[in-house]
Amino acid sequence: MRILWLSGVACNGNTHSFLNYPFMEQFLKDFTFISHPIIDSEYTLEEVVQQTIPCDILLVEGAINAHFTRADVPITQIILNYAPIVQKIVTVGTCATFGGMFHQSYAEPTTGLHFDQKMPTDTFAAFKAKTLSISGCPIHPEVLVNTLYSIKNRMPMTLDHYLRPKAYFAYTVHNGCVRNEYFEYKIDNHQFGNLEGCMFYEHGCQAPFTHGSCNKILWNEVNSKTRAGQPCMGCTEPTFPKTNLYATKKNMGIPQHLPLGVAKRTYLTLAGVSKAFTIDRLEKGLFDD
Amino acid sequence: MIKLIEKIEGEAKLHFRFDNAKISHVDIEFMSTRNISEKILQGKPALDALVINPRVCGICGHAHLLATVQALEECYDTLELSPKAQTLREITLNFELIQNHFKWIYLTIFPLLGEKQHILKATYPSQIMSQAIATVAGQYPHNSYALVGGVVSEVTHMDIIKLHHYLDETIQFFETHLVRGFSEELLVCNDISNLLNKEGDLPSLLKRMIQQGWEEYGKSYDQFIAFGENSYFQRGKSNKTRRTESIPLKYVEEQLTTDGYAKSVTYKGKHYEVGPLARAMINKTPLIKDAHRRYGDSIFSRILARACETAQLLIHTKKLIDTLDLSQPSYIQPHTPIEEITATGESAVEAARGSLIHKVTLKQGIIQHYDIITPTQWNLSGGTPKQLGVSQKAMIGMESAEMAELVFKSFDVCSVCTTH
Repeated sequence: MRILWLSGVACNGNTHSFLNYPFMEQFLKDFTFISHPIIDSEYTLEEVVQQTIPCDILLVEGAINAHFTRADVPITQIILNYAPIVQKIVTVGTCATFGGMFHQSYAEPTTGLHFDQKMPTDTFAAFKAKTLSISGCPIHPEVLVNTLYSIKNRMPMTLDHYLRPKAYFAYTVHNGCVRNEYFEYKIDNHQFGNLEGCMFYEHGCQAPFTHGSCNKILWNEVNSKTRAGQPCMGCTEPTFPKTNLYATKKNMGIPQHLPLGVAKRTYLTLAGVSKAFTIDRLEKGLFDD
Repeated sequence: MIKLIEKIEGEAKLHFRFDNAKISHVDIEFMSTRNISEKILQGKPALDALVINPRVCGICGHAHLLATVQALEECYDTLELSPKAQTLREITLNFELIQNHFKWIYLTIFPLLGEKQHILKATYPSQIMSQAIATVAGQYPHNSYALVGGVVSEVTHMDIIKLHHYLDETIQFFETHLVRGFSEELLVCNDISNLLNKEGDLPSLLKRMIQQGWEEYGKSYDQFIAFGENSYFQRGKSNKTRRTESIPLKYVEEQLTTDGYAKSVTYKGKHYEVGPLARAMINKTPLIKDAHRRYGDSIFSRILARACETAQLLIHTKKLIDTLDLSQPSYIQPHTPIEEITATGESAVEAARGSLIHKVTLKQGIIQHYDIITPTQWNLSGGTPKQLGVSQKAMIGMESAEMAELVFKSFDVCSVCTTH
């Protein structure tokens, strides 16, 4: 299948995350880029933006702004040239999906393809039915590549209301974190630099309410932010980035954002019960006797 | 004549003037900016910069993270940082530099010297180095594992074993592909003929340059500078081979130019090259001294220096890992919360392409002003007609736009960093 990888207002993090896909040799046998930010292709960028070259999938990385150009052609124009002819469009990363990090870069709206943070946008609405969203800052290479193979193999995908494949985005980042026991029993004494502790209570971890498979498929096949001791920053969501990212926003001592789908009353009841007990093993250091 | 240069983490335009079939002048235009300092950092809480700044760039974001945390730490009068945290930061930074260099050799330079891109030779070692970063910092690209006071992660002896294996595998890759059976020797070799007699992608590239008669192309001011001192890189400047160690940051000045969004940078009013060649000249790496003696600050020396630095960092990082005292804390909470800090802090870190400088001004922990000077600004922004920028000068005399592109990319361009 032929892919056009188009960059908008971007940092190229998704491009480099993609290059970490472990089975790149196999991937490059099954897909060809007609243009890519780093990989050489048959066409120059100028040729690709000035003509409409046949291809099957349009990948958009980076946020979209009416004044932003590639090789002197507005990116909106390039997208409108290619959107009608491709089978599928995939937004690669949180910027291309929601606006992301560069949402505030310009006075003019700088948004995702179909969403301005949480709000749907009109400009490309005609192409919403053929779009898939892979959010993330950056994307996880397996999520992007497996989505491309799903397109190639015409496999039906269940999507959420932001067009993200539920196979990856129905999970929360919280699923699979090695610190889960500290969360379960509401042990809120986390210190940075330790193997122990849950970062949800004090240190701003957004994993319980962020969609993603980071702790299921792991990053770079070996780890994740939360396993390493960094709070999840909610990078797959329309609200990324929030502010005060290393601190948990609380109302009357209770975290403002609760785990996905968990009602406040449920949470408070469970918290109350958990806090009535002390579990020695979880109060100690992991390697302590 | 205008040539669009692509695949440089974005694009740039080179506006050439030819006289007698040779380039007599070139203006460099970077066409866009994301206004990160003005629109995204300003007014934010200090620690948010640790999450925002890796997104300046997708290939050298880790250097931005470390420059950010160091600039924030400079805002404190006193702050305790364990040697373990400092060493972990330097180790993960080296992993990022190494993957940058492999990508540049096999994706950028190969096609400019008559080969096709070798994607798998770029991605294989880069993936291993990314795994090494992720082992310590959770993921790569885009982690924010450095925090004011240290790093968030605890590292165990088991992790150390893995890190050594990642480095061993990458060294083996270097010795299989770049220079057959020869990596440690590069650090002490003082005669490029020894290297040229070896098998491997690097000697092949260098010999091709000589065959084509390009080994003296791309010379510039022969002035080098590096600000980001650590256990390997020395801080200082070198005018040809004459080294000076004291280079206060206050003499670094940025100027807006008329072309595009890249501000030019000078030190005491002069343009300096940054990057692996600069670092090797300041460190007085024997092999690069020999290349410089023969060919000056040409593309030959520049390309050799970057490839050589790959081996240097691989070997040095193994030694650095062995200095880690795991009994030290990864993180020491600062005595004063950052919300109470009103101060300015400045930092310099050696990123893949050269010195990266960050300067932050905080008022009660909120960012008032944040200035970033990237290595690509040093090397690739334009100067004035009286004093050309480093790469502008290097491209003068080239006989074609294609040769100019080789010279331009020998500096390893990062368009997103330059304009941030």
